[in-house]
Amino acid sequence: MKTLASLEGEYTIDNRFNEGVPEKILVAQGLPATAGKGLFEEKCYTCSHCESVVVFNRQRTRPRGFCKKCNHVICDNCEAEYVSSGHVCMPFKAFAEEYRNNLVLGWSAPIAEQMAKQHFINQSYFLDKR
Amino acid sequence: MARYSLASQSVTVTAVADGTNYTDNGYLCFLQGGSSTMQCRVSEVQSGGESTSSAVMILDFGRDSTVAATGISGCYNANLDGSSVAPGTLAVFGRVSTTKPQRSATLGHLLHHSYNAFGGLARWQARQGEELTIIGNTASLGEFSYSAFTGATGIVSSHVIYELV
Repeated sequence: MKTLASLEGEYTIDNRFNEGVPEKILVAQGLPATAGKGLFEEKCYTCSHCESVVVFNRQRTRPRGFCKKCNHVICDNCEAEYVSSGHVCMPFKAFAEEYRNNLVLGWSAPIAEQMAKQHFINQSYFLDKR
Repeated sequence: MARYSLASQSVTVTAVADGTNYTDNGYLCFLQGGSSTMQCRVSEVQSGGESTSSAVMILDFGRDSTVAATGISGCYNANLDGSSVAPGTLAVFGRVSTTKPQRSATLGHLLHHSYNAFGGLARWQARQGEELTIIGNTASLGEFSYSAFTGATGIVSSHVIYELV
C-alpha cells in the first residue's frame, strides 16, 4: 500500500560555509525561515494537482491539504481551489496523459488543454453524483 | 526511456521578473519538449554557487508563458546511461535564443532555491512518480526554465536531470 511518506522527495540547502540568506527572502520564497543558515535538509512533496514542490515546514500547525480522490497531499492554493470547486480532482499526471491524447488526435494545444480540463471536471461531477 | 543531465557551468545570472524576456546566458537553462506530443519528467534540480563574495541567489524552476524559439544554443546535455540508444527526437534546451523565454507569473514558481552563492548549494530530488512534467513544446506546459528571480546576483552552475517519456 502506498503511504504518504512514500511520496516525499528530498530538499537540501547548504549554507555551511557562508553567511547564509536573510529570513525575509526565504519566507517570501515560501521556504521555512530557518532554511537560510547552515545545512538545511527537509522532506518535500510534489502537489499532485499543480506539481509545485512544497517543502515541509515543521512549525506549521494547520493541517495540510489532502485530496481524497487522488490520495495525495496538495498545496495550499490547490486546496483552496479543490474546496471551492466542489472537490474537482485533476491530478497533473493524469491530465498530462489526457492532454497528450488530445494532441495526438490533432487538436491544437489550447483546445486540447481545455478538453482535458473539462474531462476531469465531468469525471469528478459524475463520481460525486454516483 | 532515456535519462539526461542538462548542465550549465559558471553562469553569471541576470535577475528577471515574471513575464519578462530572459537575457541570453543570464539564466541557467530552459528545457522544452522536442515535439508537440513529447513528455519529459524532471527528477532532480541542483545548483551550486561559485561567487567569490557573499551573493544571495534566488532561483526559480518553473513553467514559461513564452517559449524559446529559433537561434537556440547553450548548455550541455548528456545521456546518463552511455550504453542506451538515444531516442529519435531529443528535447530542446539551451540558454540562448532569438525569441526569449519568459517565466510564467502563475506557473513559473514550481520550485524555489534560495542560498548564498558564496559556496552554497541547493538540491531537490523527487521521489519516483513525483517528478515535474513537460508536455509538448508550447506555452505554458511545454517548457521549464531555471532562472534567477528579482534580487538575485552571483555565479552558479547547475544540472537538471530529466527523462524523455
